[in-house]
Amino acid sequence: MLLIALAWRNIFRQKRRSLLTALSMAGGYLVSAFAISLSEGSYNGAINFFTEDHSGHIQIHQANYLKRPKIHKTINNPQTISTQLKQNTNIRSHTLRVFAPVLAYSETKNSHAQLVGIDLALEQQTSRLAEKIIAGQFINNQQNTAGYYAVMISSNLARVLNISLGDELILISQGADGSVANDLYIVGGIINNKNARTVYLPLNAAQLFLSLPNKVHQIAILLNHSGEAIEQAQHIQQLLSAESLLGDSFPGESVTVSSLIPKLTQAEKSLRQNLTNLTVSPWQEVEATFYQSMQADKRGMNITLGIILFIVFIGVLNTVLMSVMERTREFGVLKAIGSRPLQITTLITLETTMLASMSIVTGFALSIPLILWFKNTGLKLSQPVDIGGVVLDRMTGDMNLYVFLAPAIAMLTFSILVSIPPAFRAASISPTKALGSH
Amino acid sequence: MPSKRSTISAKLSDKQPATAAPRTDQAIITTRSLCRYYGDDEHNKVKAVDNISIEIRPAEFTAIVGPSGSGKTTLLHLLGGLDDVTSGSVELAGTNIADMSGAQLADFRRDHIGFIFQAYNLIPVLSAAENIEYIMLLQGINNNTRKQRVEQMLAQVGLQGHGNRRPNKLSGGQQQRVAIARAMASKPDIILADEPTANLDSKTGIALLDLMKTLNETNNITFVFSTHDEKIMNRASRLIHIEDGQVIKDENR
Ligand SMILES: Nc1ncnc2c1ncn2[C@@H]1O[C@H](COP(=O)(O)OP(=O)(O)OP(=O)(O)O)[C@@H](O)[C@H]1O
Ligand SMILES: [Mg+2]
Repeated sequence: MLLIALAWRNIFRQKRRSLLTALSMAGGYLVSAFAISLSEGSYNGAINFFTEDHSGHIQIHQANYLKRPKIHKTINNPQTISTQLKQNTNIRSHTLRVFAPVLAYSETKNSHAQLVGIDLALEQQTSRLAEKIIAGQFINNQQNTAGYYAVMISSNLARVLNISLGDELILISQGADGSVANDLYIVGGIINNKNARTVYLPLNAAQLFLSLPNKVHQIAILLNHSGEAIEQAQHIQQLLSAESLLGDSFPGESVTVSSLIPKLTQAEKSLRQNLTNLTVSPWQEVEATFYQSMQADKRGMNITLGIILFIVFIGVLNTVLMSVMERTREFGVLKAIGSRPLQITTLITLETTMLASMSIVTGFALSIPLILWFKNTGLKLSQPVDIGGVVLDRMTGDMNLYVFLAPAIAMLTFSILVSIPPAFRAASISPTKALGSH
Repeated sequence: MPSKRSTISAKLSDKQPATAAPRTDQAIITTRSLCRYYGDDEHNKVKAVDNISIEIRPAEFTAIVGPSGSGKTTLLHLLGGLDDVTSGSVELAGTNIADMSGAQLADFRRDHIGFIFQAYNLIPVLSAAENIEYIMLLQGINNNTRKQRVEQMLAQVGLQGHGNRRPNKLSGGQQQRVAIARAMASKPDIILADEPTANLDSKTGIALLDLMKTLNETNNITFVFSTHDEKIMNRASRLIHIEDGQVIKDENR
């Protein structure tokens, strides 16, 4: 306690100088916490937006589908996986999708388009598609009296094809079996999207159209905790591996040849069904370009903040050095009466970290209202930024432990580092020389 | 935190009886052909301490006297292990100070030697009591014992009730008494005082020396102090006269 009191009082010996130093450190903290909050908030906002809007936190595809999507790269018998996913308590919801490029014809116009087959019930739990309907309604799985399915199209496609609710739409594509696929549909809903040309079909209608019975291209998953995407993806991947499928086939201790045969058949079936050739990708892989730009941007910011703090702490180093020089005689006395060099070092480091801690507390207090405002209100960007395909249109602040702790830890580390040279200087003061100096 | 007092101290404490020790006791400090030169150059080499061999025995009250520049400060610093010897040795209870590492030497000073300086040199941000307490903290003495001993020390130097004052709120004489209390607090084997009265007016200086003398007589505390003040040196029981770094007279009185 006496050592702490000593350090504390030493800080207040040069009030003005300590105050200026503390203010510069508090400023460094404020800038760092604020910058981290903005970056975390804006990126997390964007991530939440696209994961909850359409991509999900995790996607399952056949291996390599993400890089080179092909109609035959399917997930076979997706119900098996779907059942497993429903039992997983970390998963909020999931949905099944098929994709294919199609040609779309209206009475007068035609266009290329992207066909998306969706599981109507699951899709509504897993994406915001239903919220974006601007005309008509979310389709159901019923054929009309003439035997046609209703589909939803993006507003952009409606504009290009010059069609609206109730109009007919013909889609032409190639089925998975190589056959020509073509069929007629009725526009039952229009989705607000001014960029994409998309047609949404009920899953079974799409499977029928593309000759993909009981097959899908994608399972999109929403987690309860968005931060766990990478771990949960690994976990699901493991569950889908051949070992676990086989492992599940041997629940009992006693294994007889006759009991093995059906299990092995089951395992073989799973393998044949290609269940084991699936890749589970967290959003970081699904949106790899965005993720990498984001990481690079955060690294860049951290380096900038590091440089700012470095400059702040050069000032601190100067202050500490000065305070050590002024007290040369005192350190000489402390050493003469029996303080070990290490105890002198500790005193200087303690003084510096205490001053830094006070600055951190001040910076923390100052940063709270600023960060709160940015968290609750935020700034709308006049010019949205496109980062690897993800559009950032708002600067919002995040408020969590990391935002406050990261700069605090950086500053404490810096203050210890910066105190080392003066501390060693003080510790190496020769008592005879110090006592001789008047 | 600091270790306990080393074994040397224990040995020394055993050899310090409660009553005044006879002069034949084993020496606390022994120097053998002790030299401290400044400057490498033969021409401007300063022999601050030149071939001094002395013994300081328990409960002595010794004054080192000599004109300015004669080597008093240098000798006291060497006796206290603050300065490096050029040649010869300083032994404390049979241990050569030169054999000790930095941290060992620090612990050694903490446990065996008390210092009093001409300029008081109290820590300005610590109160009188805290200045006294600090060294016991270094020794790892527990809080209760520290607080108790601080009061005891303050009483012994006649400063009861002044413990909470910072040095700048004390007179020079009072500050030097706190310095005496600080030096005694660690229960050292010897207290070295370099011109402890030089910054005080003569009346205060004599009073301070009388206090030291009383502590020497009642508590058997061994003092070695330097001075060039006649009235001060007259109170010493042993006078070591030095000139140009050499002992020219060593008298017991
Ligand atoms: N660091 C040093 N470098 C060079 N010479 C030194 C140093 N310290 C002391 N000296 C010299 O050594 C000699 C002895 O000095 P010292 O300070 O021990 O004398 P002193 O008896 O204490 O004098 P005073 O009564 O003035 O305090 C002097 O000639 C002094 O100039
Ligand atoms: Mg001197």
